Amino acid sequence: MVEAATGPVADPARGARPIDRIGLAMRASHLLALLLLAGCLVFALVAWRTGDVFYLRLATEALIFAGLALSVDILLGYTGLLSLGQALYFGLGAYMSAVLLRSGWSFAGVMAAVLLGATVVSFLGGLIVSRVRGVYFALITFGMAQVAAKAVYNTRELGASDGLIGVPIVKIALGFTTVSSDSPIGFFLFVLGFMVLLYLALSYLLDTPFGRILIAIRSNERRVPFLGYQPQRARLCAYVAAGIVAALSGALYPMLRGFVSPELMSFTTSGNAVITVVTGGAGTLVGALYGSVILTALRSVIGSWTSHHLIVIGLIFMAVVIFFPRGLIGVIRARLESWLVRRRTR
Amino acid sequence: MIDYLQFVLAPQMVTGLSLGVAVILVALGLTIIFGLLDVINMSHGEFYAVGAYLALALGAAGLNFWLLLVLVPLLMLPIGFLVEKGLIQRVFNSPDRHTTTLLLTFGLGLVIEETLAVIFGPNTQRPPTPIRGAVEVFGVMLPNYRMFLIGFGLSVVAAVALVIYRTRLGAMVRAAAFDRHMAASLGVPVGFVFAGAFAFGIALAGLAGVLLAPVYSVFPTMGRDFILLAFTVVIVGGMGSIAGAVVAGLVLTQIQAISSLFISPVWSDPIVFGILVVMLVVRPQGLFGRLGRG
Repeated sequence: MVEAATGPVADPARGARPIDRIGLAMRASHLLALLLLAGCLVFALVAWRTGDVFYLRLATEALIFAGLALSVDILLGYTGLLSLGQALYFGLGAYMSAVLLRSGWSFAGVMAAVLLGATVVSFLGGLIVSRVRGVYFALITFGMAQVAAKAVYNTRELGASDGLIGVPIVKIALGFTTVSSDSPIGFFLFVLGFMVLLYLALSYLLDTPFGRILIAIRSNERRVPFLGYQPQRARLCAYVAAGIVAALSGALYPMLRGFVSPELMSFTTSGNAVITVVTGGAGTLVGALYGSVILTALRSVIGSWTSHHLIVIGLIFMAVVIFFPRGLIGVIRARLESWLVRRRTR
Repeated sequence: MIDYLQFVLAPQMVTGLSLGVAVILVALGLTIIFGLLDVINMSHGEFYAVGAYLALALGAAGLNFWLLLVLVPLLMLPIGFLVEKGLIQRVFNSPDRHTTTLLLTFGLGLVIEETLAVIFGPNTQRPPTPIRGAVEVFGVMLPNYRMFLIGFGLSVVAAVALVIYRTRLGAMVRAAAFDRHMAASLGVPVGFVFAGAFAFGIALAGLAGVLLAPVYSVFPTMGRDFILLAFTVVIVGGMGSIAGAVVAGLVLTQIQAISSLFISPVWSDPIVFGILVVMLVVRPQGLFGRLGRG
């Protein structure tokens, strides 16, 4: 989780010059993100050389779900709000994308529509949920997603329990080249680039004064109004931002798999995103990406010898909550930060 | 008009009432655990499923239903006690208790649900109804088992309220809920009371599982479908309030039962959820106050 914003800490070696703890943490995250990006590129190269399809598709899915985990991290890791229903927006993006692609929209049109739709829906949802916090926030987001999932499950126009199949292959024009969503390597690299952009956008957003307000809310919400800020409004903005990130990631899903199902909106999906963020390290952004990649790999490995991989995942998750509440990246990043400080003072 | 009352409305209300009583039992456990420990038990629905599966398995082994009604909650007690001591207490003093315990119990629920699926298979099962037949009251057919469920469940709720508000043990529980440090300094074994209350809440969920297994079916994810309603009851009634859980449990299930006569049952969940939202906006603390306070 994010260090309490205790203000600049005096650096003993340089006398008065302060160290910006949050900025330092962000730099450590960037280093780890760079490492992950390098790892993904190496993986892509190997997969491309060996002509693999299955693992590329799986890795693309891991990255798409990493987007959902990023959105949970904005709320849980930075604002201190546990959302148990973030799949609502992921599903919204996925269904909008599937419906629009089936009626022949272009990639840019779909993404713009999803952006708009997610903004409107998450703003309306945010008006309700930003009034509450703590356990109420968790339960009301849970309830909202349950109701939405049930509604989709029973709407025949949206394919009811079967979902929508036959989403056409989409060509993504990037100016210098065109990526087709059925090219395993092309679409993987595209999704990787997309997630890098999302990550950069979010780390920029969280580094602005607005981001600092969110961190302040997480640390001690009662003091925030005394500084002249409105926690409720900031919570609403964080919720909308998270909704948009989740929906944009969800919009990529039908392009990858060619179908959407109510499962995408279910509590299982929301719960998985929470598990991903907590295991990876809440409040690190990059932890969400690592968590998704690691958990997807784990699921695929355990899933090859038992279909009940959730028991193992659940036990790992419980162990992380009890023994490493800062998550994998939280532990690693703390080391990295002190290394960065030492390097600076040297 | 009379026919409608006799053949449609009244049976529907009785069905709603039997569900309501079971929801109250589950919500009662949730609300006691929250009122006392300040912990949201996300795995509560899974313990309800464990109770139902225990009844199913022990019933198949030849045990009598009446014995199960006592035995299953007794079996749940040590499970709950160990969960509180072994898991909840480990993160109880972490800076953000609400979130941490919620996450931990969420993980626990996941593990329990999958374990049930491994042991009993993913399919839906249904134990035989222990009491057959129906009685006719003013021309309304009342299934015997549902009537028993309502009567028995309500007596359990009354007994719980009696213990909490009228006995020395209950006074200790209320004291611990009001101020755990003060209660501890007055000699209340707070650690034991916490673990005991958690175990008791789990046992109530297990009891609801036993009672509902013959009415609704038994399947691994049964707790998940039930828990949203139980949480709604707890929030609308007031987190940590016993009277609130009873009133909200009865009112919400009646609304659900009656509204499903006029609209598709699919939309009864959104209606209940809508009430939850309105409640959170108008009166976030719920209908009644918290356990140990007034």
